[in-house]
Amino acid sequence: MDDYKFLFKVVLVGNAGVGKTCLVRRFTQGLFPPGQGATIGVDFMIKTVEVGNEKVKLQIWDTAGQERFRSITQSYYRSAHALILVYDISCQPTFDCLTDWLREIEEYASCKVLRVLVGNKIDREDREIPTHVGEEFAERHNMYYLETSAKQSDNVERLFMQIAEDLMKQARSRDLPRYNSNHQNINGTTTPISDSSCCSGKFINAIVIFGKPTACIHCS
Amino acid sequence: MCNGCCGCCSAFRPRYKRLVDNIFPVYPQDGLVKSNMEKLTFYSLSSPEKLDRIGEYLYQRAARDIYRKKYGFVIIAMEAMDQLLLACHAPTLNLFVESFLKMVQKLLESTEPELQILATTSFVKFANIEEDTPSYHRRYDFFVSKFSAMCHSGERDEIRDKIRTAGIKGLQAVVRKTVSDDLVENIWESVHMDKIVPSLLFNMQESGFHKKESNNIDVTSEDALDPPMLAETCLRELVGRASFGHIRAVLRPVFKHFDLHTLWVPNDFAIHTFRIIMFSIQAQYSYTVVETLMAHLDDNAKSSATIRTNIAGVLSKIIAIAAGESVGPSVLEIINSLLSHLRDSVRNEASQLEEKQYQEALINALGEFANHLPDYQKIEIMMFIMSKIPFPLVDNHSPADNLLQSILLKSLLKVGTKYQTIHLNTTFPVSFLEPLLRMSLAPDPDMRLLVQKILHTLIDRHNNLEKLSKPTVNIFDLELVLEKSSRPDLIFINKHGPIIYDALYTSLQMDTNTPENIEAVYTTLALLCVELASVETVIDLLQLILGIQSLSLNSTLLSNAQKFNLHAIVISLLALIPTIVSIKPLADYACQIIEQRKQEAPHLLPDLFSHYPTNSEVANKLPHLLIDQMAICEYVKAGGLDPSRLQQTSPYGAGGPGFVTGTQRNSWIESGARGSIIDIQTSEVDSACSSPGVQKKYTDEELTFESMKKVLTEPPEVRKEAEAERRKVLSHTFRTATFSELVRRTQPKHDVLQTKLNEIFNSLNSNENRSPIDEKKAAVPAYEQNFPELFYY
Ligand SMILES: Nc1nc2c(ncn2[C@@H]2O[C@H](COP(=O)(O)OP(=O)(O)OP(=O)(O)O)[C@@H](O)[C@H]2O)c(=O)[nH]1
Ligand SMILES: [Mg+2]
Repeated sequence: MDDYKFLFKVVLVGNAGVGKTCLVRRFTQGLFPPGQGATIGVDFMIKTVEVGNEKVKLQIWDTAGQERFRSITQSYYRSAHALILVYDISCQPTFDCLTDWLREIEEYASCKVLRVLVGNKIDREDREIPTHVGEEFAERHNMYYLETSAKQSDNVERLFMQIAEDLMKQARSRDLPRYNSNHQNINGTTTPISDSSCCSGKFINAIVIFGKPTACIHCS
Repeated sequence: MCNGCCGCCSAFRPRYKRLVDNIFPVYPQDGLVKSNMEKLTFYSLSSPEKLDRIGEYLYQRAARDIYRKKYGFVIIAMEAMDQLLLACHAPTLNLFVESFLKMVQKLLESTEPELQILATTSFVKFANIEEDTPSYHRRYDFFVSKFSAMCHSGERDEIRDKIRTAGIKGLQAVVRKTVSDDLVENIWESVHMDKIVPSLLFNMQESGFHKKESNNIDVTSEDALDPPMLAETCLRELVGRASFGHIRAVLRPVFKHFDLHTLWVPNDFAIHTFRIIMFSIQAQYSYTVVETLMAHLDDNAKSSATIRTNIAGVLSKIIAIAAGESVGPSVLEIINSLLSHLRDSVRNEASQLEEKQYQEALINALGEFANHLPDYQKIEIMMFIMSKIPFPLVDNHSPADNLLQSILLKSLLKVGTKYQTIHLNTTFPVSFLEPLLRMSLAPDPDMRLLVQKILHTLIDRHNNLEKLSKPTVNIFDLELVLEKSSRPDLIFINKHGPIIYDALYTSLQMDTNTPENIEAVYTTLALLCVELASVETVIDLLQLILGIQSLSLNSTLLSNAQKFNLHAIVISLLALIPTIVSIKPLADYACQIIEQRKQEAPHLLPDLFSHYPTNSEVANKLPHLLIDQMAICEYVKAGGLDPSRLQQTSPYGAGGPGFVTGTQRNSWIESGARGSIIDIQTSEVDSACSSPGVQKKYTDEELTFESMKKVLTEPPEVRKEAEAERRKVLSHTFRTATFSELVRRTQPKHDVLQTKLNEIFNSLNSNENRSPIDEKKAAVPAYEQNFPELFYY
């Protein structure tokens, strides 16, 4: 039901065909979709999970890997609390593109966004990128690292649960990008961590109302 | 929190909950229980303080039903909320709205297309009601994100379209809801625009194959605007609402989208989209779009010429729309920007076909833009373009410079074509005419041709250009459109005729002339004749054609073919002139020569060729086929005109290089200043200038003819030598001097011939006003024609 305590936005990015959609559907619907077509623009899924007796709602935005949708997908990074950067361990080019993706994330996402690197399709025999290479890359760029298989459901649950736990920890220590607004806080039972990053140039609502924009508190 | 799981003890439940429960039927397919819904509505109206709890309870029920996949009940709950929303418009609505939106969001979060569509419909209803107190803490971020995602739905066919349609309608609703009040949510923030705009464009661009598809599917949908149409409507609305500060937020994602989806080539969709933008944008901002497009060209400096060509193509298609609104400095900014793009393109060493097409596209854009500007701005633009043409015009330029010159001239021609001359003096201010004439003498024949074409389009006011594009002796076939020339025109030609004729004459001396060049000069002269038909101009023109004839007889530089070309245009002009001002005897004379030439020397008639049969006799050996000065004087006189000026010989020298004549008149002025040559006469000229209309002293005419004869009888070698020398000086001058310098420049004094000619012409010219007839028509004194410079400074 809907008495969640936290709301987090998770955005998946990465080259086309690395298995983002499969990961999301595995996690939200528990299935591995046969003949999954390429995502157009952005897709959206929701899943509520429990972390230590607290309900956490995950809004999952699954973006298209195709270059042509880059403009729309980038606009979704900005409000993300966590970004999952996916590559295909059996496909070197998808790994080579990671630096490009990081540059994009740097440019468009919040500076405090939780970043997780995922090497997907570990069920495949034809691995091209050894685990330690991915691990090292993640470490170098301050990211979590996890290897998954959407097909065999390896580590998928763990991936999202880990993110939920981490974000919750962050939220508790108030280290999460957020507004001071109490948006949608109708009955006092939920504390949604709302949209937008500290870097998107948005201001605290109260300040906007009085017409005196000040610098972003998180970035300044 | 009560989750409504205590149906067993409904008797003790609060009244509002019972009322809500009662609106649900036992079987969802029975639909909302209407009578109970009325009760609930009545209750809500009478106890508005309960409204927020009703909302919350409805929401809880729906959330539970979604979880249980009892979608029928969800739909009923939503319907109930819709009705309550519309029925209750009180300040209390605010809290209810929160539940309502939570409900909408909940449905949008489900994976069921039906629920998503339902939620959107409800959201649209909500967006259409006006709230008394907008809620400032309410945010629409989720809705923008979700609706944008829906716009990209990848579901199966019909569902896909339904969801996309819903997404677009949802976006439209968000915009409507938020646009009027920035405090609610600044929809123009790039977080939102970067989602909304690409989503709309994505749907619009699919129209092509979408339409094809929908032909196969039976057209059933009732309120059906298809997604592309709907997206288009939405974009229009969005753009239309954007104020100046928001335009760029809308445009930026447009460009990004076109880049990423490679929609510039081909550019049909881009043109379509930008037209929509131009037509819906608040008119005063339309030029921002043009500006942004040009900035985008900058950004694409490294892209392929094809992409740039297509962007420029879009520009040319929409620029006209902006032109109507552009005022003042922005006009020149746009022009300037176009010109600098041209310049950049020219500097692109590798000028292949694609680059050329790009330049053409830019020039087209320039023309389109100019076309829609008022005429006074066109002149301004032409002068502006002129000022950008690199000088000096010399032949040892880098190819890029030459290319730039010719491209700028092409632009000028384009603008000129769009300009409709009314009065020649407004079309040709001195500051425009002078450099233009200077360029008509450029070393590059193609460039000279362009300049003539510019002159053509600017001089021609009666659509005679086509008819006069080729020399012909069959004037009556032409059906020329004539109009009596106005006084301002006559003043213009009296004032500027000399430098114009001079430049034309000089350009005919160029040995690089092709038949096309010579034809073009003919056309210019013919147009001048037609446009300025008057007895005064006739004499000038006759003088000039006599000058051209003697040039072709005496020049040592021109090829035989070029000389034949000159004879051909001379006779064509001679045939034209008397029909324009109707001097029957002269026309007969022309006819007679033409007939003779047809018999004996068709190569002295049009058409013009670059090669003639080797046995073509040079005109010098056919004196009876030449135009005779004395005969002309006679026929002119017989036609009732005063031939005295003609008799006094032409200012176009005895076949000497044209610039001699041009400068010699000017040198006369300077010689006066230096006090050399003929002091008395120059001082007379000066005094005459300061008091127009004063007649000059009689000077002996005989002297003139004698001197003339002397010049003509001098050994040809001397003349030839002098001519070559002159030619050298001339080309050097072109390389270095500016035009006004050129105009004022004195020829070297060591030139004996020159001094002599000066002498002769001095005396001749000072005789001009002697005749009493002259005096009558001397509204504009002849010396003013000859010394236009004196009136400039
Ligand atoms: N063997 C294997 N194949 C997988 C796995 N995950 C995805 N795939 C396959 O990879 C292909 C692409 O998967 P998608 O989930 O559509 O990839 P995507 O990253 O969403 O691609 P875009 O939407 O185009 O960005 C599909 O054919 C999947 O069946 C996996 O864990 N193992
Ligand atoms: Mg996908």
